Amino acid sequence: MSPTNYLLLSALLFSIGTVGVLVRRNAIVVFMCVELMLNAVNLSLVTFSRINGSLDGQVMAFFVMVVAAAEVVVGLSIIMAIFRTRRTASVDDANLLKY
Amino acid sequence: MSSELLSQLPPVAPASGAGSAAWILVALPALGAAVLFLGGRRTDRWGHLLGTATVLLSFVYGVVLFFSALALPGEERVRDLPLYEWFASGSLSVEFGLRLDPLSLTFVLLITGVGSLIHIYSVGYMAHDENRRKFFAMLNLFVASMLVLVLGNGFLTLYLGWEGVGLASYLLIGFYVQRPLAASAAKKAFLMNRVGDVGLALAIFILFAQLGTTQYTEVFARIGELSPGAVTAVALLLLLGACGKSGQFPLQAWLPDAMEGPTPVSALIHAATMVTAGVYLVARSHPIYDLTPTGQLVVTIVGAVTLLIGAIVGCAYDDIKKVLAYSTVSQIGYMMLAVGLGPIGYAAGLAHLLTHGFFKAGLFLGAGSVMHGMADETDMRRFGGLWRHMPITFATFTLGYLALIGFPFLSGFYSKDLIIEAALGGSPVRGWLLGGAALLAAGLTSFYMTRLMLMTFFGPERWRSLTPRSAPWDPSLESEAAPQHPEPGHGSPEHYHPHESPPSMTVPMIVLAIGSVGAGAFLVIGERLGGWLEPSIGPVREVEEAVIPTGLVPGIASVLMLLGAGIAYLTVGRRPVPVERPQRVSLPVRAARADLYANTINEKAIARPGIWLSRALVYVDNRGVDGAVNGTAALLGGASGRARRTQTGFVRSYALTMLGGSLVLVAALLAVALP
Amino acid sequence: MGSQSFSDALGVDYGALAPLLIVLGGACVSVLLEAVLPRVRRRSVQLVFSLAVVVVALAAVIIRATSGAGDVVVLAGSLSVDAPGLFLWGTLLALAVPSVLMLADRSVEPGGVFVADPEALAEAQERVGAGSLRSTSSGLPSGTGTDTHGVVGRRGGAGPEPTTPPEMHTEIFPFVLFALGGMLAFSAANDLLTMFVALEVLSLPLYLLCGLARRRRLLSQEAAVKYFLLGAFASAFFLYGVALLYGYAGSVRLADIAASAAGPLRSDALLFAGLALLVVGLMFKASVGPFHTWTPDVYQGAPTPVTAFMAACTKVAAFGAILRVFTVAFGTTALEWRGVLWAVAIASMVIGTVLGITQTDLKRMVAYSSVAHAGFILIGCLAITPAGLSGTLFYLLAYGFTTIAILGLVSLVRSGDGEAGHLSGYAGLAQRSPVVAAALSFCLLALAGVPLTSGFTAKFAVFSAGLADGMAPLVIVGLVCSAIAAFFYLRVIVLMYFSDPAPDGPTVSLPGPMTTVAITLGVAVTLLLGVLPTAALEWAGAGTFLG
Repeated sequence: MSPTNYLLLSALLFSIGTVGVLVRRNAIVVFMCVELMLNAVNLSLVTFSRINGSLDGQVMAFFVMVVAAAEVVVGLSIIMAIFRTRRTASVDDANLLKY
Repeated sequence: MSSELLSQLPPVAPASGAGSAAWILVALPALGAAVLFLGGRRTDRWGHLLGTATVLLSFVYGVVLFFSALALPGEERVRDLPLYEWFASGSLSVEFGLRLDPLSLTFVLLITGVGSLIHIYSVGYMAHDENRRKFFAMLNLFVASMLVLVLGNGFLTLYLGWEGVGLASYLLIGFYVQRPLAASAAKKAFLMNRVGDVGLALAIFILFAQLGTTQYTEVFARIGELSPGAVTAVALLLLLGACGKSGQFPLQAWLPDAMEGPTPVSALIHAATMVTAGVYLVARSHPIYDLTPTGQLVVTIVGAVTLLIGAIVGCAYDDIKKVLAYSTVSQIGYMMLAVGLGPIGYAAGLAHLLTHGFFKAGLFLGAGSVMHGMADETDMRRFGGLWRHMPITFATFTLGYLALIGFPFLSGFYSKDLIIEAALGGSPVRGWLLGGAALLAAGLTSFYMTRLMLMTFFGPERWRSLTPRSAPWDPSLESEAAPQHPEPGHGSPEHYHPHESPPSMTVPMIVLAIGSVGAGAFLVIGERLGGWLEPSIGPVREVEEAVIPTGLVPGIASVLMLLGAGIAYLTVGRRPVPVERPQRVSLPVRAARADLYANTINEKAIARPGIWLSRALVYVDNRGVDGAVNGTAALLGGASGRARRTQTGFVRSYALTMLGGSLVLVAALLAVALP
Repeated sequence: MGSQSFSDALGVDYGALAPLLIVLGGACVSVLLEAVLPRVRRRSVQLVFSLAVVVVALAAVIIRATSGAGDVVVLAGSLSVDAPGLFLWGTLLALAVPSVLMLADRSVEPGGVFVADPEALAEAQERVGAGSLRSTSSGLPSGTGTDTHGVVGRRGGAGPEPTTPPEMHTEIFPFVLFALGGMLAFSAANDLLTMFVALEVLSLPLYLLCGLARRRRLLSQEAAVKYFLLGAFASAFFLYGVALLYGYAGSVRLADIAASAAGPLRSDALLFAGLALLVVGLMFKASVGPFHTWTPDVYQGAPTPVTAFMAACTKVAAFGAILRVFTVAFGTTALEWRGVLWAVAIASMVIGTVLGITQTDLKRMVAYSSVAHAGFILIGCLAITPAGLSGTLFYLLAYGFTTIAILGLVSLVRSGDGEAGHLSGYAGLAQRSPVVAAALSFCLLALAGVPLTSGFTAKFAVFSAGLADGMAPLVIVGLVCSAIAAFFYLRVIVLMYFSDPAPDGPTVSLPGPMTTVAITLGVAVTLLLGVLPTAALEWAGAGTFLG
């Protein structure tokens, strides 16, 4: 199977993640969509690693995973904090700062 | 061409002696401004005295410098005083220094001299204003910036002063911030000045990008290296800057509105000094303009158009300060025309600049004195017969008036004739057009100024028989002309108690009146000014092949002057002036039917087209130029208000914006990069 | 045998890396201090320690820059310590000093601007009795429309008023040090992976800092959520760009990308799509329009000292990375992509200027002004010449200090329980406090680019570099935009000097020594760089990037 297909799959996953960010209201789901985008990139990295015949891309994928994990910690704590004060995790309700 | 020109540029010597401390000129008023701004209320009691003293000291020092320069032989009078290296790094090198030469010293004397008088006048004029300290702080800031502008030895230093005077002028026009008119006038002045500033900044950037320097000495020595197109571009951009600052066509509309500021400001900034900055810029950059006939031609056209517009529109207003403001626009048009003519006109333009500084400042102070005595009224229809009540104001105002209309042997007579003679030179078509415009405007000047005199100082005392207030007619303030002092009884006869102003106000007026009488003769006869300025702007060239023999010009100008005054007497002086502006129905056709002047056939032949033209120009000015400015402002504001709504506060719509931007960016890059 | 040869074997040049190691090591130690110190002493120790770390790192940068040690690439080519990089490091660390001072200050806001330490809060409650716990944290600006008093649940940040307010969270100090370390690495990163990791290291603490305000919790937390979600979104784009470029060049080293692009044509689609996505991530951080949408909301909602830190330092780091990417990785293909980025620069200048006109909140106005300034800075970045590089570096230094001073001054003007962000609160400020009004006016004039302020020198350097590199249209747009933008800066000045203060208007609190030092430093540098910019310009132009 041609590696190009993996790249297409990766682009598709990235797009799904992007659309998810745009359409979902729950902050946690939005955040999960961002994680989906990061993992789609991971797929790309590994595929390119395969195409290029170097291991760099796979190493990078590990880095991305670690960074994503750190992002989860920070992200969930922020979402938790706002949930505690507002009793809602909808991103559309956080709408005081505008214009 | 350029080599011939380079040989004309005088050598630049380092400043020594009294000149080596020339920075004191700027430092004194700057210090005054800093103390007054930062001192706060503590300086309220003596702040105005400090402000006046610093400018006076600057003037004294300027006089010292002037005489020390006179003592030098002509070729050593151009001196540079490097103060410090502003930036220097790799490709950037800008020096901060002063240029002491006859041109800058002339301006120093004008700025500090007239500035001192106006400071003294303001002590009396602003005596009852609780913000007097702030007012003096800003006047000092203005004087300091203006001195930087004229004393700088490079375009960047000039730009520093340029921004400074723009800022000070903006603040001073909006001084009565509680009046909406003042705020909007300040806004308009600011916007129009910014248009000019962008032009100046671009010109400087081009010079810097092409030559790697902005110092006058080097720029003028190497300007020949630029392509002719670049030189013309620089010249036109500099002209744009000059138009903004000097209220020249098409950026003239802010100047009359700027009269919302306190009257001393009108006199100092918007008559005598700041508005001449544009003329200074063109005269200073004469090596650039000398290389580009196109640039020079555009300068003369701008000057001629402006002087006509100003003179014609001046006939239409009833507000004493606005008439003077349009007169200023028109007179600066004369100067611009003169400096656009090249070596035959530089000295003439600068001579007119100086004499104008005297008489126009005097006229504005006179107008201020009238307002002071008439409870801040500016509508001339409500004046009348004031000469009995304020004799000193009347006498000084009359001298200024005679000087302005070019009454023989007074200041304006000499300087204006020089310009008209210069304008008549050149090719016949050009000579007739430019010279004709200058002559025609001389007649118009006489008309509107005589009208102003008659309505203000002569005739019945109309203010005695007023019914309570209705708004004065003014095209720009039809709807919102609020009385400046809304206390009860305003507008009724009991409200007006015309009286002479205190000595602190009359003395400056007297001094300026003396200047209005004598300055022209002193400067022009024997080419005193031309000879003095020669190291800066080159020798004065005689007019060749004028379309009208130069010997006849004074006579023709005088005849036109008398004609204008006569028409004004026939139309205004002989008949009662309605206190209210006759109802204006619609413009421009019905306007011509206004029966203000039209009684006799004689008048119909001359006055009606004049009224029609002036009303039409007022209309264009308000709806066209003002419309463009206000329209731009409204457009920006509206766009801003609408675009602001896109910041909805929803994080998802922000993400959408970002995604849209990213997609456009990716698509554009792929489209551009991939064949 | 010894550490010397060991480090040689690994190819680690500790001298070059010292500033970064000091800051990141300091951040780790700071976390430990947080764990072991008793609560009462934490704040003072943390403050002194953080300041010491920043100052020592700054000293290390200066020593390195003056030692004449050449440009090196360290850590297996992942970081490049070169002359522009050292200038960026110096700028970041110099800006960090006033930022840390402002973050730690508690004279303006009793107890500091950050949310209270839960332990301290508990103690304070015990002292007065739990019954009198009052919520004072709901100070929303009027007109935002939501009833914040109806919020349910546990609320932090409320202290009983009679006693001294509880101490703030001291975790902010390690946060700031980590963010600073990330910024240092970001601006020196020589490959895209390092850049990505550094991007996250600098971003994550900032997200948290944004949400930690003591007052106006809802706004602060909203800012944090928005910043976080959009930041994560943008870094996904960045990462996808990295992946595409890796696919294109087979390496993420900036120099390798340039080498591949110069070689025989492969798939240019990958190269330019990768560049576009990479640039989106970078420009998000630099708040270049149209990727700026987070900027006004986050600037307004975050605690003002955090806004200052973010506005000054993040911009420096992001533009440092942009400069490096443009110059080292894409310098050879500049002709092809530069035109598209012209449009971005124009968009940013126009958006910032036009939207700035109608802002009524000073912090939002500063945010839009920063968008417009990002466009100006981008002009310098797009001129891939030594003059463009030095002009941009100088601009970043000048802009950072001016912004810190402005936000420091903004934090002093307070009404009721919080800052008076609304412009109407600034009416007649000159009568209440001439010094604050004068300093704020001066800084606003610097943003407007009036000569003899740093803003003028910076604009001059950047615009002349742009013009020399054939970007006349950009420079014209830049000049027109700065002409228009001057209007809204001057409007604030007029408001302060000419309007009468409202009787119930805001008060100006007397700043403590730390905020005073921070503001003074900002104003002094703004003046100094306007009057005597030579030394800074020379240092900024000292060298070029090392690939």
